[in-house]
Amino acid sequence: MEKKIKLTINGKEVSARPDMTILEVAKENGIDIPTLCYIPDLSPIGACRLCVVEVEGSRTLVGSCHTPVAEGMVIQTHSPKVIATRRVLVELMLASHPDACLVCDKANICELRRIAADLEVGLPRFRARKHYYPVEDEHPRMVRDMSKCVQCWRCVIACKGESGTPLFGTAYRGFDSKVIYGFDQPLGSQACDDCDACVEICPSGAIRKVRKAGEERANKALFIKG
Amino acid sequence: MAGKGVITPPRDRADLVERLKETQRRYGHVPEEAIAELAESLAIPVHEVYGVASFYSFLSLKPLGRNVIRVCKSLPCYLKSAEVIMKAVEKELGIVPGETTADGRFSFELINCIGLCDHAPAMLINHDAHVDLTPQKIKQILKSYE
Repeated sequence: MEKKIKLTINGKEVSARPDMTILEVAKENGIDIPTLCYIPDLSPIGACRLCVVEVEGSRTLVGSCHTPVAEGMVIQTHSPKVIATRRVLVELMLASHPDACLVCDKANICELRRIAADLEVGLPRFRARKHYYPVEDEHPRMVRDMSKCVQCWRCVIACKGESGTPLFGTAYRGFDSKVIYGFDQPLGSQACDDCDACVEICPSGAIRKVRKAGEERANKALFIKG
Repeated sequence: MAGKGVITPPRDRADLVERLKETQRRYGHVPEEAIAELAESLAIPVHEVYGVASFYSFLSLKPLGRNVIRVCKSLPCYLKSAEVIMKAVEKELGIVPGETTADGRFSFELINCIGLCDHAPAMLINHDAHVDLTPQKIKQILKSYE
């Protein structure tokens, strides 16, 4: 039997395998840490920072999706500092996200919106610049609207592409960072004819299915409380 | 670009930046053909090479003018009114950052910290540093570049 290590999450002592991440251990113990860029079973990205937790002795908050557990770790997953940080992160994402939920096809199945509702983030206080890119709608099965991208890079790691060449990459730097296809071209009609992985995992309206009128949505509809 | 096989093939992925720099030196920018060629010889997708080329300020994806003006946009220069310098360059050349003059004499770019903060605001023209800038100095400096 593999060696187990002991650590403390939210004051409760738990045991875990040494190759697990904090997020996995938390999940196993019924603690819900919000995530946006994390995809189970794929290598962690650590881009969205929503899964940050407080680890005793660490100068900064750490991303739980990519931090392995260690013997004797003392972790707080929902301390006031953690919650405040997560709220500001979502607020900043919303601040540079187009105010187009009303007309967005993903509006009531949107992960970003669900997380914002869970964390009780309302209208952002910040007036940030927004990105405006043309909508790429030539492809028969997916529409890409990079104005709505929150740069979680899920599509970048999830796509294996046809013939093993991933479809998306990252380019530029700072505010101009963008998930690109080819030479930063629009997604043409011939771009890909494989799975719908990127459509399924995109947490915002940036990549979505071409939906015919009356067709049912894949995800469960979101009901926002309050 | 003159045909295939002009660029030294990269040894491995770590060599990619050096080969992109070589391309930039030889052609004045990194053309799409070069990106495609590098991607093919490393057997990686073009978007990966494009991503690297677009990340660095000293690599350009479009052709540049004979002289490249790079004004620092980082915080220390900003606090020393780099915006006034940018406006002065804009006024002198009639172009905004990211553009090249019609005669191909100057390209105007903004750049991140160039390590001349002790003499902010600063800019580079080609590889010459110009420091402690004032809008009045701009005209004189630009005159010395043909």
